[in-house]
Amino acid sequence: MSFFASKNTKLNTRGLKFDSVGLVTGLVLLIILPALVKSNNYILQVFTHALLLANLALAWNILGVSGSISLGHAAFFGAGAYCSAVLSLEYGLSSWLTIPLAGLLAAGLGLIMNLICLRLRGAYFALATLAFVEIPRVITDNWDELTHGSLGLVSLPGLPSLSLGTWSVDFSASIMASYYFVFAFSLVLLGLVRFLFNSNLGLAFQAIREEEIAAEAVGISANRYRLLSLLLSAFFTGVSGACYAHLVRYIEPGLVYGLHFSAIPMIFAICGGRFTILGPAMAALIIYPLDQFVFHPLLPAGHEFLYGVVLILTVLFLPAGFWGSLRKIF
Amino acid sequence: MTVLQLQELSKTFNGISALSNIDFTINEGEIVGLVGPNGAGKTTLFNLISGRLRPSTGKILFEGKDITGFKPHAVCKLGISRTFQSSRPFSRMSTLHNVLTGQVFGKGFSLHIRPEDEQMAHELLDVVGIAHKAETLAADLTLSEQRRLDLARALATRPKLLLLDEVAAGFSPVLVKQAIKLINRVRERGVTLLIVDHFLNLSLKVADRLLALDHGEKIAEGPPNIIMRNREVLRAYLGMRYPDEEDD
Repeated sequence: MSFFASKNTKLNTRGLKFDSVGLVTGLVLLIILPALVKSNNYILQVFTHALLLANLALAWNILGVSGSISLGHAAFFGAGAYCSAVLSLEYGLSSWLTIPLAGLLAAGLGLIMNLICLRLRGAYFALATLAFVEIPRVITDNWDELTHGSLGLVSLPGLPSLSLGTWSVDFSASIMASYYFVFAFSLVLLGLVRFLFNSNLGLAFQAIREEEIAAEAVGISANRYRLLSLLLSAFFTGVSGACYAHLVRYIEPGLVYGLHFSAIPMIFAICGGRFTILGPAMAALIIYPLDQFVFHPLLPAGHEFLYGVVLILTVLFLPAGFWGSLRKIF
Repeated sequence: MTVLQLQELSKTFNGISALSNIDFTINEGEIVGLVGPNGAGKTTLFNLISGRLRPSTGKILFEGKDITGFKPHAVCKLGISRTFQSSRPFSRMSTLHNVLTGQVFGKGFSLHIRPEDEQMAHELLDVVGIAHKAETLAADLTLSEQRRLDLARALATRPKLLLLDEVAAGFSPVLVKQAIKLINRVRERGVTLLIVDHFLNLSLKVADRLLALDHGEKIAEGPPNIIMRNREVLRAYLGMRYPDEEDD
């Protein structure tokens, strides 16, 4: 189903209404969550991570919408995490500065990925991106003076603090503050993704996904728009990685460049609905807490099987993703 | 006024010649039919003009400007648009958004969807007769509707020259009649047309001139009634000797 907004159809109006209802409900729940759970630290921590993963899924889907399935977003995530960590730890820069710089570094990496994978499509592109992760990982692993290699970096500075006049808030002071920091990032990203997909750029991304040759024949430079979606996707993945570094305050190459951070956004995007705006974020906010609260206690060693099962079930029975399918019904 | 000029255009694939030394000119407002049997090089010529393929040698001039080697999207922006032999809709987008894409990207680019673009897209759907399907997904259209969509999307880019690849292939006589009406309507909008027409069911009725190809070479050009009596053309299509030769 097309996620693209149009004002004058029954089908789409229903989908849009459903989107608005879902969006407002979700936002209200997320805003009052700390009050609901009486600031239970564990629950808040899980939802902070769920929001971070939601951002990752939203960022991944900027590329996903234009038709490319990436299995290499851990490259951007890890590079972003390391960039922000090294700059703030070694050079003492404020994380207000290092987080966007991490996004820029990731986008630069996206540029390199684009040069390598320019002519690849579909499964070949996916496999090349999977291999691509090795490039920044090996560099990080071996650049000991800067990154301490596989030892990782510990006691990183926390999330930044914000002061306006007399009022100030330190986002690393409490779990609730961190939660709201990541939540604010989610809002910005979601707003941007909505704007992108509802603008004419959304038309171009969809057109090159659906039929590249025809898209070029109507004046769309497929390479240029694919690059644009990759750069945006990489930038926000890098920013997510930087947030992760300052949130967890400990990183090592095997962790931040791990397959986990490549696969997770893809799983959430596909389960939620690759052609919807909200789906990927919704999936992250439902599946990750489900995993942590229900499956992790039951099966501490193998709880991640949940992701595999959910992915297989979605692909088999709800190819439009659960949000995409719900939109069609309501 | 000359719209398109092909100068000694050749294309070889791995040493095998697909087109050789094609010289041809299309004038403003004309409808030209490109005919020839299978493998004559009709689609290759289309792909060269629309920028999908680079010619091996020769030049393509559009309104006097050398556009040889231009990329498809750049060719489109200059004013050449095309349809495809088997239509290529943006399947999971609505019919309206298919046309809107052409409208938005065919010439300049604006970030926001302008109401006049949407208006124009609706009008074009009306021109090709599928306005009632505006909100249907392109994948759910019938084959004939998808061809109409292809045409509407190509028109949406506001072309000066439109290349139609087998628009009426496989059409019933009724549909062919509709297609003829449609093509005349397109011409009234001031668009010059080059039509690939393998089965000749369209071009004989609408074309001002025909360009006949066989084995990558130009074998004839001229008005339809004369071309259809040309012995080279008859030989290419029917594979038999020209009746007059029997008497020699």
